[in-house]
Amino acid sequence: MKLRGVFSTAIAISTGVFVLLGALIPTDILVDFRILLLQWAVLVAGFAVLVGIINLLVVHLAKIRAKSGSGYSLLLALSLLASLVIAIFSTPQGTGSRILFDGIIQPVEATLMALMSISLLYASMRLLRHRAGLLSIVFIATAIILLLGAAPLPFGEVGILHYIISPFIEQVPAAAGARGILIGVALGTLTTGLRVLFGADRPFGGK
Amino acid sequence: MQISLDLITGVIAFVFTLMVFSYVLSDNPVFRAALHIFIGVSAGYAAAVTWHQVLVPRLVEPLINGSMVERGLLVIPVLLGLSLLFKVSQRAASLGSAAMAFLVGTGAAVAITGALTGTLFPQFMAAIGRFDMSRSSGLAAAEQLAYASVALLGTAVTLVYFQFGVRDKSETQTSGRRNTVIRILAYLGQIFVAITFGALFAGVFTAALTALIERTDFIINLFTGF
Repeated sequence: MKLRGVFSTAIAISTGVFVLLGALIPTDILVDFRILLLQWAVLVAGFAVLVGIINLLVVHLAKIRAKSGSGYSLLLALSLLASLVIAIFSTPQGTGSRILFDGIIQPVEATLMALMSISLLYASMRLLRHRAGLLSIVFIATAIILLLGAAPLPFGEVGILHYIISPFIEQVPAAAGARGILIGVALGTLTTGLRVLFGADRPFGGK
Repeated sequence: MQISLDLITGVIAFVFTLMVFSYVLSDNPVFRAALHIFIGVSAGYAAAVTWHQVLVPRLVEPLINGSMVERGLLVIPVLLGLSLLFKVSQRAASLGSAAMAFLVGTGAAVAITGALTGTLFPQFMAAIGRFDMSRSSGLAAAEQLAYASVALLGTAVTLVYFQFGVRDKSETQTSGRRNTVIRILAYLGQIFVAITFGALFAGVFTAALTALIERTDFIINLFTGF
């Protein structure tokens, strides 16, 4: 491992250990040091967001220069710079930012979400056609039962579906599976975090 | 003034809604243009929010109005933050590794405490809590016990499904597959996972359908408003 790699690993391990100790052993000095490290992390993360956006701009400016997909890249670069100037000078709560948010960001996000309903419907139909196993049938049957149980049906509600089957599925097998998945994810997070703190994983480039 | 602002916003929103909806016909240049503008605007807006909500209150104001100690404490994060700029260049990217290491180390520790106190302990307590007969759930005791047992079994077999470790082939002289009991439990776990994903699918589909109704309603209202 190069000296620079050792230095980066030492930084990752020491900051991680101090932040963890501050959370697990609540003495004044450890808690204060943990808060200071977290405040620094917020500031560095703020810089990281800006660096990411600068990188996005640099990549698209290079595409414009190379004339590969330059029209879309030009649109992206211009809209990025224009919205940056507007939102910086009008503040995120100002009129300019409101037009950007209510006029572009929110409608596009909502419409993409709306398009997802068509994609999901199409995907579920394809699932039964291409992978018609027991698990696919269980998946689709659960979804249909819960949708019928929640939707206002034209012929009135079906008592057994609304009050017995749907609540049972939601509260027992679906909740059990979700709890298993959540615990699995948390155990994975715990293991990955500990591997970083022990120096076994170095996702910051310290090989 | 207020009405004209709403009108401008409404017209822009209408145009972008139609541009994105054009994807229903096929992937087309109008849709791609809308997406590129959306990404650009979102990135610019995110940069402005970061500037106003993070960098100004935590860096610029303390540098202008803070004491010498406060200013001194900002030297390390500013150096780390500025070193991240090297990440944009391929040749000098390794100079930003220290800042990345700082973020990863802090993030790992926060993730560990979050996983322990935010997920593992509450989920274990919730699984145990279902067996608490003193809690009123509107069910008979036997029924509550049966439900709690099925839920516990479901959680356990779901976790078994996500256990992919096997013994070394040379150690056991087998083909490296999981043993039969584990495989049966894992298959049962898959069924619970399928039910959970079915429930999640229903929830996401309902939300997407709500968004579709809201967007259609927005277009109709804008037309009838004129």
